Amino acid sequence: MDKLNFIYPEIFISLSIMFLLILGVFKKNSSNLINNLSILTLIGTLVLIFNHPFNTNLNIFNGSYKIDFISSYMKILTILSGIFVLITSSKFLKIFKIFQIEYSILILCSILGMFVMISSNDLIVFYIGLELQSLSLYVLASFNRDNIKSSEAGLKYFVLSALSSGLLLYGCSLIYGFTGTTNFNEISNIINNNQYGLTFGIVFILAGLAFKISAVPFHMWAPDVYEGSPTSVTLFFAVAPKIAALTVFIRFLYVPFINVIEQWQLIIVFLSIASMVFGAIAAIGQKNLKRLIAYSSIGHMGYALAGLCTGTIEGVQSSILYISIYLVMNFGFFSCLFMLKRNNKYHEDIDDLSGLSKNHPLIALSLLIILFSLAGIPPLAGFFAKFYIFKAVLEQSMYYLAIIGLLSTVIAAFYYLRVVKIMYFDSEKEKFDTDYTLGLKFTLSLSTILILFYFIYPSKLVEIVSKINII
Amino acid sequence: MLAHTLFFYIFSFIAISSAIMVTASKNTVHSVLFLILDFITISCLFIMIGAEFLGMIMLIVYVGAVAVLFLFVVMMLNVAQQKKEWFSSNDSSKHIPVGVLISIIIFFELTVVIGGWRYKPDIVSSMSLPLNTDITNTHSIGKILYTDYIHLFQLSGMILLVAMIGAIVLTFRERSGLKRQSYFAQISRERSDSVELIDVPSKKGVDIDD
Repeated sequence: MDKLNFIYPEIFISLSIMFLLILGVFKKNSSNLINNLSILTLIGTLVLIFNHPFNTNLNIFNGSYKIDFISSYMKILTILSGIFVLITSSKFLKIFKIFQIEYSILILCSILGMFVMISSNDLIVFYIGLELQSLSLYVLASFNRDNIKSSEAGLKYFVLSALSSGLLLYGCSLIYGFTGTTNFNEISNIINNNQYGLTFGIVFILAGLAFKISAVPFHMWAPDVYEGSPTSVTLFFAVAPKIAALTVFIRFLYVPFINVIEQWQLIIVFLSIASMVFGAIAAIGQKNLKRLIAYSSIGHMGYALAGLCTGTIEGVQSSILYISIYLVMNFGFFSCLFMLKRNNKYHEDIDDLSGLSKNHPLIALSLLIILFSLAGIPPLAGFFAKFYIFKAVLEQSMYYLAIIGLLSTVIAAFYYLRVVKIMYFDSEKEKFDTDYTLGLKFTLSLSTILILFYFIYPSKLVEIVSKINII
Repeated sequence: MLAHTLFFYIFSFIAISSAIMVTASKNTVHSVLFLILDFITISCLFIMIGAEFLGMIMLIVYVGAVAVLFLFVVMMLNVAQQKKEWFSSNDSSKHIPVGVLISIIIFFELTVVIGGWRYKPDIVSSMSLPLNTDITNTHSIGKILYTDYIHLFQLSGMILLVAMIGAIVLTFRERSGLKRQSYFAQISRERSDSVELIDVPSKKGVDIDD
């Protein structure tokens, strides 16, 4: 057990969960304290990840748990999303009277699950991590239990997610049956091209994974769950599980099955095209901002998958860049949503934004920048994200994919710009409250600045991500 | 060997007949009791073939937890009095043909699967596997569960913790106005806290607030 120091982040976060739970149970009215301590826990975990060198590449627990550059990078992204969710959501939860100690503890639990998923190099480890993550998310989705929509969201997510877990496990059992091992590296040594059972296994696992990142045709849960859950949980849903699931996607496709790429490439291409097109078209008729962002996230996942289906390391890197920038844009967007509060009531319809530019010019400007970036208009960060993807796709001469992607970007620009039009040219409404918390202001300004000035120095992020080498 | 075979048949007979009684008995509580009998008999069968760990887990999990939970649910929902006869109510009679059809198909599929497995030419007999008979099942499961798979074992514990937190978050409601006994407050009460001597002025009386 001399390599135990490489899983210190996981150990630390588990011990903190138990400690915070005991503390929260014994100390009355300690929600605020637990929330702050959870943020500190996440910062401590971040430090522990930085503690071991990034270029390590080692397998522990008999090769079933992998610590390498991609796992460290994705874990950092997950932790950052956790920190931002916790610092932006405390006020929101207080107003809804659901600010309980369990909220931050469940977020920590699900981050632990994501860590396990990100580092997994084995089907069983991956599945256990997935379950740990999903179980916490089910509870978080129905956290506002007196609200019927929130309960519906939790139940819907639970039932459909259990179904997809079933598909995934069936795929795992097929792969185990045909190769005799669950370890990714050992599977890659054993497989050959004409095992049809193995292809079935890949398809089932891909279906289960596509469900977790809400790619079409496994997306039907996303809009309802996004709308029903408390907004802070929606923010968590929109970023963190996608990071973890995308990492598993990368590891699962590129470690054991890179040699049978012709078996899965078309599936990913289909998922990608369907998500891009559906995400763009279905969002047009939406009136609720949370549903809008749900469809937009479906579309964005389509672009991330487009990078994956190239089968090259550049494609993987472009996907990772995409998800990193997507994360920043979502933080900005949700911070704006948290600011739309009037008389202790949150507003989340697109019409509520009308005339925002007259009353709150700064919020309107930030939202404008974020929406332009989501639509992929240069020179904002969202443009670069799409640029990297299309570059990787074109290098593999998959022109049809790039063309469909570009066309759906144009369609998607319509509904983003419609929101901008409502903000800037429609008649103004009552003012919103302006008692923003420090964390909210900080998150919004940071994400807006990152999006706006990304083009000045884009090479740093590219340089970091280009160190990722999965194969 | 004869005793072994005899016991096998006895247990199998009890298992099958109690399984039939689960569906056939008119009282739901009796059904659950037969289910428990079925579980116990099957765990006996497991122990007979040498899988004592599986048998004991079966007893603990299915009999100890699941079946007792069923019993609670059945008794609380008060569905025990089903006086109507077997399959005779008008609602369910429409489902009988479909149910019979599906049962026949499942039976057919099982026959094919088991037949194909039994007569597969290159099947590996379980007797030929290199089993170490010196150590028990429990011992060998423990040997890999706490070494090679320790991380999975610990993570399963975390999953159970999350399930517990989730169940409490979603169902627990703190009732207001509830009077609870506080031992500490009771014990630490002093005479001076609660008894007060007052000089009552003549013809004025005293105010008693609480």
